[in-house]
Amino acid sequence: LLFSPSQAIQYQNNVPTPFSLTAELFDPEGNSKPWIDIRGGDFEEVASENLFPSQRPPPPLEFAHGTTTLSFTFQGGIIVAVDSRASLGSFVGSKTTQKVLPINSHMIGTMAGGAADCQFWIRKIKSEALLHEVEEGRRMSVARASRILANYLYSVRQLQLSLGTMIAGWDEKGPQLYYVDNTGLRIQGDLFAVGSGSTFALGILDTATNRYELSVDEAIALGIRAIRHATFRDAYSGGFINVYLITPEDGWKRVFQEDIARTPEAWQALKQKEESELDIN
Amino acid sequence: RGVNTFSPEGRLFQVEYAIEAIKLGSTAVGIQTKEGSVLAVEKRLTSPLLDPASVEKIAEIDSHIGAAMSGLVADAKTLVDHARVEAQNHRFTYDEPIGVEPLTQAVCDLALSFGEGSDGDSSKRMSRPFGVALLLAGYDELEGSQLYFSDPSGTFVRYKAKAIGAGSEGAQSNLEEAYSETMTLNEAEELALSTLKQVMEEKISTDNIELARVTPDKGFHIATPDEVATVLERLSG
Repeated sequence: LLFSPSQAIQYQNNVPTPFSLTAELFDPEGNSKPWIDIRGGDFEEVASENLFPSQRPPPPLEFAHGTTTLSFTFQGGIIVAVDSRASLGSFVGSKTTQKVLPINSHMIGTMAGGAADCQFWIRKIKSEALLHEVEEGRRMSVARASRILANYLYSVRQLQLSLGTMIAGWDEKGPQLYYVDNTGLRIQGDLFAVGSGSTFALGILDTATNRYELSVDEAIALGIRAIRHATFRDAYSGGFINVYLITPEDGWKRVFQEDIARTPEAWQALKQKEESELDIN
Repeated sequence: RGVNTFSPEGRLFQVEYAIEAIKLGSTAVGIQTKEGSVLAVEKRLTSPLLDPASVEKIAEIDSHIGAAMSGLVADAKTLVDHARVEAQNHRFTYDEPIGVEPLTQAVCDLALSFGEGSDGDSSKRMSRPFGVALLLAGYDELEGSQLYFSDPSGTFVRYKAKAIGAGSEGAQSNLEEAYSETMTLNEAEELALSTLKQVMEEKISTDNIELARVTPDKGFHIATPDEVATVLERLSG
């Protein structure tokens, strides 16, 4: 492997100290605490006491969690649909975030949770996949790529990374879809939706009872509807709808993009204008 | 003599002996043209019972660089693995393919330290120099098509055409006569194979040689048996 775990640093009273498991497992009286979700759990307790600001631990970092990403397999391949909003609290940081990250010609990863964590680690997996191709002379399988990522994330779960990614691809076993997250969880499935808008997207996706038999156009339309509805109801999702299709012949390809802020007609008109300007040039 | 001890005349005997070991290896030829570079190696099949496809003396390092080896092929595996990881690390850090010269330098750094590497992992250090020479052929945007020769002393030199291994003396003089700066890639392939044909003991065929090319548009590609057959036909025709 190209990478190895690094040391975790904790901050106590604004002074960095080496990470120590026992600090988390025992309270000041020495009673053992039940294993708690270390993200945010401690902060509320300590902040409620009237400590001076300089004595309080720093608040948990605010990541861009807001997103809707979904993926499902069907007879024509795999659909991956995402929004493109990056939110920092209630501030819309970007409407053009690239939430689909390529790993190889036939495999992509999606971004949900911490944007930096997803970008960095999926890029590392891309590096591993390319090395594998050069060494073995064939593409890395989806099972292997998702395993490398999941094993690694489990080994560094104390770093409190925030990552909820779907690794989707077509390999020798056919269409493969795995959900991998920062706790090290890795599960295979036919349908996943991840992010703050995932529940709204699932509501739309689950209405298609014949999902596997859909045609390519119908499947793309289903993905669009699901993301559009999620951006409608979830404040932290929006921007563009990007839909990708993975097939064995062409690999991954973006098949749809639309700016939600414009009506479909206005968006088509804008794209045609851009294309004609490109032709002139 | 200790491996790292100079002789009174100022020579490192182990390194020189390693260079001698390469002269026993199978012949490899590399030629660089403006259209791209070519690598050809004699497989040297010692038995009709062995599987020719399992003898691999040309390795892909990245999509735009390949290496041909001559000498102790097992030593070459260490160098090639290191080169592959360096190429990917460079892509990850700088979001661009590694240049051919920096990659060659990385290989030579490893050769110079007998396998220890810049990470200081002294468990990987060998008690002797590497017994293999490499011909690294690649393309990058800065210098275009390039061919480098790297040897156990840890030096590398850029060549327009180079032969290494057992038949290298005869092959090198052949290349010197026939090489021209304006050669096409197809002519370079023909020259490489005809040079090998001259110095090989067995009759040349699609089974007992390996051929590869690096071009700006398609990158590194090892020829399939059919593609080798096409070039051999052009030679005889």
